[in-house]
Amino acid sequence: MAGPEPILEVSGLVKHYPLTRGILFKKQIGAVRAVDGVDFTLGRGETLGIVGESGCGKSTIARMLVSLERPTAGSIRYRGQEITKLSGRALKEVRRNIQMVFQDPYTSLNPRMTVGDIIGEPYEIHPEAAPKGDRRRRVRELLDVVGLNPEYINRYPHQFSGGQRQRIGIARGLALRPEIIVADEPVSALDVSVQAQVVNLLAGLQDEFGLAYVFIAHDLSIVRHISDRVGVMYLGRIVEMGSDAEIYEHPTHPYTQALLSAVPVPDPSAREQRERIILSGDVPSPTNIPSGCRFRTRCWKARERCAREVPLLAVPEVFRPAAGPASHDSACHFAENLSTTRSAPGRAVPPEEPA
Amino acid sequence: MLLEVRDLHVEFRTRDGIAKAVNGVSYGVDAGETLAVLGESGCGKSVTAQAVMGILDTPPGRITGGEVLFQGRDLLRLREEERRRIRGAGMAMIFQDALSALNPVLTVGDQLGEMFVVHRGMSRKDARVRAVELMERVRIPGAAQRVRDYPHQFSGGMRQRIMIAMALALEPALIIADEPTTALDVTVQAQVMDLLAELQSEYHMGLVLITHDLGVVADVADRIAVMYAGRIVESAPVHDIYKAPAHPYTRGLLDSIPRLDRKGRQLYAIKGLPPNLMAIPPGCAFHPRCPLARDVCRTDVPPLYEVSAERASACHFWRECLHGRS
Repeated sequence: MAGPEPILEVSGLVKHYPLTRGILFKKQIGAVRAVDGVDFTLGRGETLGIVGESGCGKSTIARMLVSLERPTAGSIRYRGQEITKLSGRALKEVRRNIQMVFQDPYTSLNPRMTVGDIIGEPYEIHPEAAPKGDRRRRVRELLDVVGLNPEYINRYPHQFSGGQRQRIGIARGLALRPEIIVADEPVSALDVSVQAQVVNLLAGLQDEFGLAYVFIAHDLSIVRHISDRVGVMYLGRIVEMGSDAEIYEHPTHPYTQALLSAVPVPDPSAREQRERIILSGDVPSPTNIPSGCRFRTRCWKARERCAREVPLLAVPEVFRPAAGPASHDSACHFAENLSTTRSAPGRAVPPEEPA
Repeated sequence: MLLEVRDLHVEFRTRDGIAKAVNGVSYGVDAGETLAVLGESGCGKSVTAQAVMGILDTPPGRITGGEVLFQGRDLLRLREEERRRIRGAGMAMIFQDALSALNPVLTVGDQLGEMFVVHRGMSRKDARVRAVELMERVRIPGAAQRVRDYPHQFSGGMRQRIMIAMALALEPALIIADEPTTALDVTVQAQVMDLLAELQSEYHMGLVLITHDLGVVADVADRIAVMYAGRIVESAPVHDIYKAPAHPYTRGLLDSIPRLDRKGRQLYAIKGLPPNLMAIPPGCAFHPRCPLARDVCRTDVPPLYEVSAERASACHFWRECLHGRS
């Protein structure tokens, strides 16, 4: 894959949470397969968007990337170094470079700490990052960078609005000058008018500090706005991956097609022309994943082969001969190019109601 | 007009002072029509709906003025007993969070059936039959078996269908849906909105859809009322407002949606924050955030100017906004 040199390489990443029965003699009776074999790379200064519905495993990936969870299997390599098995000082060193911004600005800041202490806390853990006498000045600088008044350094989180709190969380993420920021739904708790402010801030900081983002969200239009490449997740796996134009204008996986067509378009004149694919049913439980293709239970194209054979994430055979926007990774046996550009509204066969 | 809210005022008394949540809201809905009430958190859209339904917590809330005319009768003057008869049978509400709106210790069949037992005096057995019918009506697979299940045994989308079934039970003339799909994933959201729209046209109900999502509004609404700091700042037919907003706040909201042609560039962002309801700015409440603000905006509260027969805007400079000079 073309693009900047990869600084993060993820392969075969798996996270299963065991389900047990019994108190004294715990017996494993199954597992929640939250993440079930995920591969991707992240280039320097690049933004990788990950979209998917709740329960698809996108937040679990975020937590593994910043070593809050240990993977059940698979590898995460940061600059060629395997980080999943690290501990102690080596782990601390890596964590300095991969920081996280959380979704909920109301619960991710300690209410008893001042803003100065919250943003300066990374320096307590990594004292080598900034000499003691210089920390206060750096925190003020960070407040300024994220667009908050440096005079607010002694205030408490409750004195700020949601958008301002998210800025505090971002300042904390920036404190150690990381290379990678993993942002898990960083704007979904915010009001529409404030979302745009925070998205602009993140984009500006990327240019200023050469950050790479893993941007996890369920809002497809915001992910498209900020991402260079996008991965679509369904039930613990990436089902389609490509540049933003490839995914949004030429989706080849039926799930991506359904997801894109379901997003309400803020344009009432599109109401009649739009052909929507309404999926039937709900996402299956991650404790009981369908055989073969995990999307087949809701897919209107599913055939016998889909129950038997797991589709791999690769460029589908039909698109291999010719280079083009449809020629990107898609985990579907029956991938089809569906152009969704405005001038030519996508044509799709809506699924029939199950009898 | 099926429902007409006139100059409604609601305030909340808190330890820190009086929060003016609703400051003179007026809107109307006809039978078969969908009115979207659009606004961000704290703009008073849900409080207005609660006052209309008569489920506002009083205290701390207090309705300090206005009328709520439903089929010609002012609900605010009725006794609680009469209002209770109207709730459910005349108008019903769908809430955002079905898990906390449903009773966790009763089966969904009991909760659906209760509507018929209380309002229609049916026997429990007959009510159970009606409950199954309703569940089939909102397309819950295996309704006859699932009627004995508890709310936690259903997925988010299915729970929201049960809420819709409960609202529809007595075939009310008006439904108020407060962010009915906000907690749902997009693919499920599409299913639920489709179902709601279909049932609405079948029963020819009026629908007040409260939301912050400009996409959902564009998909289903006939008319929009945009709220800011407890007032309606713009109301218009849905097509007009997306084509050319007549209030700078509406314009700002529409412009801040990420669009293809702006990829890689800055998103338009409305500067600043929504006001504190205990200290709403004088004059036009939006003036500290407004690109068009002038001296008059800081002193004079803008009335709802008539933009056309069907449109109104509470902006002194609505002409400039409408013609794109901002």
